[in-house]
Amino acid sequence: MISRNFRDLISVAIGGLLARKVRTLLLLMGPVIGVAAIVAAVGLTDSAKGDLKRKVAQLGTNLITATAASSFGSERPKLPVDAAERAEQVETVEKVSAVVQLTDITVSPYEKARQKYETTPIPVLAADTRLPFVLEVDMVSGRWISDADAEMDSRTVVIGSGLANEIGYLPGENRTVDLAGKPYGVVGILGKVELDPTLDNAAFIPFSAADRDFVKEDIQPTKLYVRSDDGTEQATADTLRTAISLGGPDEVATEIQAEALQLAAQSDKQLQLIVASMGLLAIIVGGIGIANVMSISVIQRSTEIGIRRALGHTRRTIAQQFLLEAMAVGFLGGILGVLVGALAILVGVWLSGWVFVLQRWIPPAGIVLAMVVSVLAGLYPARRAAKLEPLETLRLG
Amino acid sequence: MTEPNPTIPEGTEPFLELTDVSRVYGDEVKVYALREVSLRIMPGDFMAIVGPSGSGKSTMLGLLGCLDLPTSGSIRIAGEEITTLDDTNRTRLRGRTIGFVFQQFHLIGHLSALQNVETALLYRGMKPNERHDKAMESLERVGLGQRWDHRPVQLSGGEQQRVALARSLVTDPIIVLADEPTGALDSKNAENVMQIFESLRSPERAVVLVTHDLGVAERADRKISMRDGEIVGDDRKVRA
Repeated sequence: MISRNFRDLISVAIGGLLARKVRTLLLLMGPVIGVAAIVAAVGLTDSAKGDLKRKVAQLGTNLITATAASSFGSERPKLPVDAAERAEQVETVEKVSAVVQLTDITVSPYEKARQKYETTPIPVLAADTRLPFVLEVDMVSGRWISDADAEMDSRTVVIGSGLANEIGYLPGENRTVDLAGKPYGVVGILGKVELDPTLDNAAFIPFSAADRDFVKEDIQPTKLYVRSDDGTEQATADTLRTAISLGGPDEVATEIQAEALQLAAQSDKQLQLIVASMGLLAIIVGGIGIANVMSISVIQRSTEIGIRRALGHTRRTIAQQFLLEAMAVGFLGGILGVLVGALAILVGVWLSGWVFVLQRWIPPAGIVLAMVVSVLAGLYPARRAAKLEPLETLRLG
Repeated sequence: MTEPNPTIPEGTEPFLELTDVSRVYGDEVKVYALREVSLRIMPGDFMAIVGPSGSGKSTMLGLLGCLDLPTSGSIRIAGEEITTLDDTNRTRLRGRTIGFVFQQFHLIGHLSALQNVETALLYRGMKPNERHDKAMESLERVGLGQRWDHRPVQLSGGEQQRVALARSLVTDPIIVLADEPTGALDSKNAENVMQIFESLRSPERAVVLVTHDLGVAERADRKISMRDGEIVGDDRKVRA
């Protein structure tokens, strides 16, 4: 008996919504926009985080970088000459690679492009033979700088994958690039470095060549890439600072890359909170809209309410009819909002190359939230509808 | 005041009984819309309530239809005192015992003729097909079985009033209350509707027509005349 009456109620509520499609569409806007904003905000930041997690998993959590911090009297701080050897002395260090950022070198892949690369210079790094091994990055083609290059004092250069694309270098092609007027033969393309995308557009030359062609004094590294034993990242990072400076005037800064990524993820969390709050605001404004539109609807439908009351429908039934309409709006709006939000995440993921992440609890939570807000918004109009007297709305005599 | 109906055995319980009913509006300045009115509506009554504007017809209709409560006095429907009932129980009693027909038809615009009739049967624990059959039967009774799927805007005034009649009858009420049922109709449709009303004469039912149309009133078996909130005449016609 109760369930049949409830079924009657549902059919009346749904019938009421379907009978006024434009009004129903207006009612739906609030929950749809609100839920979509919340789902998209949480989903997009989670997807970005998912991408970070993937990167961390790929890079390993044990990669530490050591750079020279600014020290008194030094304009361009550098690490000690033997920084890599000093770092290797730390027990928990697994492997080390040193690079030197060379300055004021114009790289020109071909003569006509010289002017362009003078304005937007390509970074040139002197690197040792271990860099891809420490970064755990494979070569796209060719080979990395070898010991033979150092021994033979040869002018070889490895270019980043981004740079190779930019200059149209084909794998295996015999080509030289001009480094401050000196021809360097391209021997390989380094794979994409997720950790440090600036390396993708850089040119790498052996220490020996840098020493001979560009650096007058002793060659000093600007950055060390260090892999520590798993689980000892923090202790290694702390020890490295002392191990490299050895109490000297040079200050050393270390950074655990995974932590840096997590920090980036944390700033995304704040963004997520802001956007989700805006979504919540949208859903509340939507709720006010529902209350407003439904209140007007009660006035417009006062004759219908009067007829129903005259036919024996109780105040409670009338109130339930309006509440059910509000609940249906919330339910449908919630579902549509989740779909729109998921679509927004898909587009974001597609544009940014992230990994699609939508936590399982988000869709039901979004729908429930939309329903709760809609029902709360429907309380006042439902109460108003229930209070209408048939004699107020049906003209007699 | 009320003359006994010779066709009803003595001691028969009235369907509806008003005893010393007054309806007063206003607090400081009192306006008497009805003044100590008593009336018994008996099974089989086919009656008209007539009177000029302001005579208290509409107030009487509201009270007879259980849509309003008196300021004083007693109203009993099927033996049940309504003035002591709460709103929910009064509403349920109304739905069970009274069928309304309004001058402006008052059909629900977005529903079909059949759905409008079915509205009166909602929330009664009925199976949908049972409700459908009953509503269809009622529509056929007023000659609109073929037009069950038409919405009010697709029906003429006369047809709309017949749908309203079907809706009022579908619950098998003991009293059918009609407020100026032919007021919005042309003479042909009015005649058609009146014929249906006349066919409703039954010992299981009372039909009450509230009207200022004397032609309509003349067709009733009993005529209640009202003036200034009081019943000034209760004339019964003996049908051959």
